[in-house]
Amino acid sequence: MVALVFLFLMMLVLKNPSFLPFANTDQSTSIALGFILIFAFLFGKQVERLGLPQITGFILAGILCGPYVLKFLDTEQVADLQLIDGLALSLIALTAGGEMKISRLKGRLKTISSLVVFQTVFMLGGFVIFGLIGRKIFPFFSGDSLVQSLALALLLGTIATATSPATTIAIITETKSKGKHTDLVLSVAVVKDFLVIILFAFFLSLSSLFFFPDQGFDAGFLLEIMRDLGGSMFLGIVVGGGIILYLKYIKQEMTIFILGIAFFTYQISHNIGFHPLLICLVAGFLVENFSPHGDRLIQAIEKSSLPVFVIFFAISGASLNLEALRSSWMLALVCVFLRGLLKFAGTYTGATLVREETVVRKNSWTGFISQAGVSLGLAVLVERAFPGLEGKFFPLVVAVIAINQIIGPVMLQKYLIKTGEAGTKNLNS
Amino acid sequence: MSALYAFGLLILLAFLGTRFLVRKKSLSALNYLFLSGFVYIFLGLYLGHHGLNILSSQVLEALDPLISLGLGWIGFLFGFQLERKYLKRFSKKAVGLSVFKSLFVFLSVFGVMLFFVVRLFAEQPPYLLFGMALAFALLGTVNSPTLLNAAAFVLPARGDYFYLARFLTSVSGFWGIVGLSLLFSFWYFPLIDTPVVIRGALVLSVSTLVPALIGVLFHFLTRAKASEQEILVYVLGLVFFVSGAAFYFNLSPLYVSMIMGIVFSNLTRIHERLYPLLLSTEKPIYIIFLILIGALWDFRLDWSIALLVVVFVLVRIVGYTLPLPLCRLILKYPNPLPPVYGLSFLSFGGIGVAVAVSLKLAYPMELTDVFLSISLLAIIINELLGPKALQRAILRLDSEIK
Repeated sequence: MVALVFLFLMMLVLKNPSFLPFANTDQSTSIALGFILIFAFLFGKQVERLGLPQITGFILAGILCGPYVLKFLDTEQVADLQLIDGLALSLIALTAGGEMKISRLKGRLKTISSLVVFQTVFMLGGFVIFGLIGRKIFPFFSGDSLVQSLALALLLGTIATATSPATTIAIITETKSKGKHTDLVLSVAVVKDFLVIILFAFFLSLSSLFFFPDQGFDAGFLLEIMRDLGGSMFLGIVVGGGIILYLKYIKQEMTIFILGIAFFTYQISHNIGFHPLLICLVAGFLVENFSPHGDRLIQAIEKSSLPVFVIFFAISGASLNLEALRSSWMLALVCVFLRGLLKFAGTYTGATLVREETVVRKNSWTGFISQAGVSLGLAVLVERAFPGLEGKFFPLVVAVIAINQIIGPVMLQKYLIKTGEAGTKNLNS
Repeated sequence: MSALYAFGLLILLAFLGTRFLVRKKSLSALNYLFLSGFVYIFLGLYLGHHGLNILSSQVLEALDPLISLGLGWIGFLFGFQLERKYLKRFSKKAVGLSVFKSLFVFLSVFGVMLFFVVRLFAEQPPYLLFGMALAFALLGTVNSPTLLNAAAFVLPARGDYFYLARFLTSVSGFWGIVGLSLLFSFWYFPLIDTPVVIRGALVLSVSTLVPALIGVLFHFLTRAKASEQEILVYVLGLVFFVSGAAFYFNLSPLYVSMIMGIVFSNLTRIHERLYPLLLSTEKPIYIIFLILIGALWDFRLDWSIALLVVVFVLVRIVGYTLPLPLCRLILKYPNPLPPVYGLSFLSFGGIGVAVAVSLKLAYPMELTDVFLSISLLAIIINELLGPKALQRAILRLDSEIK
């Protein structure tokens, strides 16, 4: 605590305007990154004492130091850190892919598909009904026509279906969880990510029919997103194959190689619109399941996973637009509550149908609350596709993500503790 | 497509590296180029605006913290090895030899380089040329023990000369880094038009006290039982912070990180746990740093630059070799110090690159681009000459004693 206060005071002094004439303000990203790394980590440790996950602390520290509260990091610095954030995401996705072992998932395929299908169906159905009812209450849904309101609700429902694999893997790593419930939560989150992107592409094209009826069904979006998805998976296979060959024949400079992969996927996704998360998930999955050296890759990444998590989640926190939360907090709260309810209903139904045990039926929905990058990216696409929604759709999604990203990790941690799988990884291995 | 190409190059280098590193029986120039990681400067150069432009100026700007981390890391590690217990092992005469050796090189390089730069860049303000000559002189004093450590495997006879050289190359960077800090403090400080003694002293005090305080904080944080991952977060965060603060206030990042390293090293009791962690993290950070430096390098080569490179390399060799007998005389050093022994000190190592780059980053101008080009070319030449020169010097002297 003393160190936390000391650092905080030091940053206050450094950011004091009276020092500005001596400061080279163009060179402030490193100091911001160093500060956020230590501060978020120490903050996470304090939060852990309250029984909450460290990553909630990292995110809160990011929010606190970010451009909307203490302004230790301004929006420009947060933007400057996006590349480093992107590299961290790729590393996290590689780990997530590597944690999904076919041998462990084989017996759970029925449960996984049932949970994915029912969560999705309930979420879409629930949001459509909400859109119909909410049309009278919330101006957000009051489009020019009923079908437009429905289209909005459908897109919102699709985005709400997603769960953040990055947050999931971070909590799994932090709590050292291992076991069938852990595998279930992670694999449902990953599979849903694929499904959400495909569904989103379809609904976006469909919505364009409602918003621009003169143009007819615009398959352009669908094709574009399918191309990105297919391309990402293909590239994931290529990258995974490359990693396998590297691990087999070269072996040297593993860290540089992994960072090179992270940078390469970031560059590719940045330039041609592929999804770095999917590329690395597929690559990690492939290496773990089709190469005897998979564990070496995961070990190499996990060795430095803590700083990667701290940086990633603290920057995520700093990137959260609190203005958006302020402007649409009421509807956001309703959406968060509704999403939670639908997650429970979908998970309960799905798990009951495949006769899963009680803890899965009643509690596993809490593992699917967190939301992050993919949802945010999809919301950007909606605003881009329908300029009329500018400043309306995106802030709402950001506000919902902000709330879910704070409560999601806490709920997942509680679930893993409840299943008894938290803290078992070292014991098992 | 170019990203793919670049990635292929990275793999190729790693592959070639394994091939060269596997053969440890000899230490050729090319072998050492891979071993020391200097080959990655060329990769960076090719990925930068001179080649594929994957590491474009925007990307480099976004990766700026990694350059800062690289500089801070080099400074921190350097400071970390300056532990009282380690230094006490060496006699005062050895420390004196280190001072004299650095002083001779400093004076000879400064004098000769000033003579040339004033004539070659006559259009530049004299005070900048004076600063440039000072920077060359400081850079000239810097050595690294990396080559000696690499050579340890191939030298059949390792005696007093080997261990003395290892000590001298380990500590020589100290004088260069302190000198660099003096240059940063008293020289052309941004927004202060003229060098002012009081302001300079103030800057020097700040760049000593603040990192010392952070070194204490680091010790405080790691005093309680911290896991390796936690220590990694602390060390990365604090190096980012201290080095970033140095860039923010135009202090020397190498100096402030070194001070943090010295203070921490002399307070902590977890050296045994820290060394493996630092060493395993060092190489990736260092290689990334070299790649980024290569990309940042505005490569220039005209006759004036070529001339200065040759002069710098030669005068440094002369500065290291010829005055050694004189040093022995002044210090009454017990062992003979023949000029050939000076050939053990040619390698600059990463610390040389760090000194050159930190000046370029702190004072971005035409002249520092020229300075960086000359420095990097001279460093690479020295790294190529180093292995043979070292083996010649140490082998001969140590086998004579044996």
